[in-house]
Amino acid sequence: MSALTLEQVSLRISGETLFAPFDLHVPAGVVTSVIGPSGSGKSSLLAYVCGTLAPQFEAEGRVLLDDDDVSGLPPERRGLGILFQEPLLFPHLSVCGNLLFGLRDGGGRRARRKIADSELASMGLAGFGDRDPDTLSGGQKARVALLRVLLSKPRALLLDEPFGALDRDNRVKVRQLVFDEIRQRKLPTLLVTHDEDDAASAAGPVVALGS
Amino acid sequence: MKRRMRAGVLILLTVSGVPTLSGLAAALWFGVDAASLMRVLDTPGIGLSIASSVWTGLVATSLSLALAHLAVAVAMTGGWRRRLNAFSLPLLAMPHLAVGIGLALVLAPSGLLLRLISPAVTGLTEPPDWLSVQDPYGLSLIAGLVVKETAFLVLVLFAALTQVPAERLLLQARLLGYGRLKAWLVAVAPLLQQQIRLPLAAVLVFGLTNVEMAIPLGPDLPPTFSVMLWRWFVDADPAIHVQAYTGTLLLLFVTVLTVVVASRAGRAFGILWGRWAENGSRLRGEATARGAVGAFVSSVWILGMMALLAILLRSAAGVWRFPDVLPASAALSSWSGVLPGAGNVAGTTILLAAATTLVGVILVLPVAEQLRRDAALRSRLGAWLFLPLLLPQMTFLFGVQVLLAYFGLDGTFPAVLWSHLIFALPYLWGLLAPARAAIDPRYLSVARTLGAGPARAWLTSTMPLILRSTLLGMALAFSVSIALYLPTLFAGAGRIATAATEAAAAAGSGTLRLAAVHGILLAVLPLAAFTGAYAAGAVLFRNRRGMPR
Repeated sequence: MSALTLEQVSLRISGETLFAPFDLHVPAGVVTSVIGPSGSGKSSLLAYVCGTLAPQFEAEGRVLLDDDDVSGLPPERRGLGILFQEPLLFPHLSVCGNLLFGLRDGGGRRARRKIADSELASMGLAGFGDRDPDTLSGGQKARVALLRVLLSKPRALLLDEPFGALDRDNRVKVRQLVFDEIRQRKLPTLLVTHDEDDAASAAGPVVALGS
Repeated sequence: MKRRMRAGVLILLTVSGVPTLSGLAAALWFGVDAASLMRVLDTPGIGLSIASSVWTGLVATSLSLALAHLAVAVAMTGGWRRRLNAFSLPLLAMPHLAVGIGLALVLAPSGLLLRLISPAVTGLTEPPDWLSVQDPYGLSLIAGLVVKETAFLVLVLFAALTQVPAERLLLQARLLGYGRLKAWLVAVAPLLQQQIRLPLAAVLVFGLTNVEMAIPLGPDLPPTFSVMLWRWFVDADPAIHVQAYTGTLLLLFVTVLTVVVASRAGRAFGILWGRWAENGSRLRGEATARGAVGAFVSSVWILGMMALLAILLRSAAGVWRFPDVLPASAALSSWSGVLPGAGNVAGTTILLAAATTLVGVILVLPVAEQLRRDAALRSRLGAWLFLPLLLPQMTFLFGVQVLLAYFGLDGTFPAVLWSHLIFALPYLWGLLAPARAAIDPRYLSVARTLGAGPARAWLTSTMPLILRSTLLGMALAFSVSIALYLPTLFAGAGRIATAATEAAAAAGSGTLRLAAVHGILLAVLPLAAFTGAYAAGAVLFRNRRGMPR
């Protein structure tokens, strides 16, 4: 069980305050949505949590995973997983290669491959392992991206408008799948979106920025 | 293809393709000769000679590629991209021949390197009896090639970065828990690698077939195959020339075979690389690896800079006893033998380079303008223009010489200019065409709707945006021309003397001191051209952050 906590987080750029200090506690399995118009600083907030904020920003506050302060760590050591609007599958690797890239190390090549194949099957993508990711549909790509991040065993999940690029039909399906997985794996999740529909179906607390 | 596009494209293809292809055809026509082939194969040491060409070419290319990828990975993930760029440019600017001569002066038993550490470290008070240059294993030749080609490949990789969403892929890999270095190497580098296959092949072909570096640095007895052929070509006995003709075809065959084998090996390596990506191990403690790469890249750079320094010192040195780091006295005696003709040589060199640059830009700019919206045709034309860089220069240049002689044009300035254009065009096109295509077409529409005619709209809205790339392209074309040795030799029929031909002849006869005197011009002119282009680019629009860089 883990929880994601933001403590007194505020951001400024060239002297101008994007948002005043605020606290946020996201318990395990809960999806907290951050909504706000573009320019309200929601992408910057996400970048701050990931540790990829551009240096011209001044940030204050702390990011905690359970009781561990991860604010000073580089992104790869924070134990956070993220899904972007684009699935960002590595185009030079196969579908399976992408999953294995996400999968934590351990196990021989064959054992790892078996894990990836069975995970694919569980998402209704059996036999897709050797496919070129570029030949997948938008919904399929989103599923592979979700699997990839889950296999990397994050302690918390960040969602950056992850359903924005999907058509309406896929959007509902993929969204349901993502939220189901989050609840099942008890991941504290921060969803950043401008779509109130996304926030509503997340069925968690909603924080409005820049209002 | 639209009709109005045709003229410019055809002119470019004619300028580049006709001499290349007809030269190749003539080489086949005159070179295929069974008796001559037997004589070539009967030459003592021929097997070893070919083997040392293949060995030095393959090793130098693999090392340069690995080093370039690592340098770019460390620089891009450590925030010193600009520094690496600035490091690479002078090494790119200096011609192979100048770096080769300079490195011979650095690595020789009485060279700068041993002087720096003697007698303090080595205890030597006299130059040792080592074969540290022109060693039989080709190590000094490999070192020279690595200095030049690493810099070239770094800049090619930087150019390829514009085609790849590197930042986002890197971020995605890091957020999956990978350290910066592994994240870059497995998530971004393979995509860059796909973009640089043509330039990489050119590097391999050059490594296998060059004489510019193999003359001052390569093994002797036997020399690399290309140097052996070169000696036959410049031999006074015409009977040996026939042997050289056939030899160039053998060189072509060996080159094609090596490139094919190397690309297969590269694919196999790619599969292994993929396994590394898929094994899931998140590397920690990358600091050591980053430090090692930094140290290696720095030493390559220092070696290159020492080569330049050695040329300057050697050419002006009087008494210079071992192990003194600096000469005891300056003497212009090496200059005195050269000076009477030096003005002519410098004049011809600069004139040729300036003409190549000017004609090249005039040919390329209109076509870049016409093809700005046709990416497919742009890349196809680019591949065609690149062809001369994928062939052993000697093979088609000797065919060109035969044809020029037939028309009585060999040894004329226009003939040499044309031969230089063949080699400058791929670089000009590679730089200018993407720069032109990258400009938002709406700027031009805005200018037109604000009432400017087509010419004025181009001058006021397009030209300024490609000015920086154009200046850089001009510096590159200028440097390419300065560096060209074999084209000048063949198309000039040995009658047109430039800094490159004089330096190569001096290096070939083993008088490095004289070679250094010509090497100065060879090294300084391109450096000056690049410095000028950069300074102009920096001064113009210095208050405009949005200008393309």
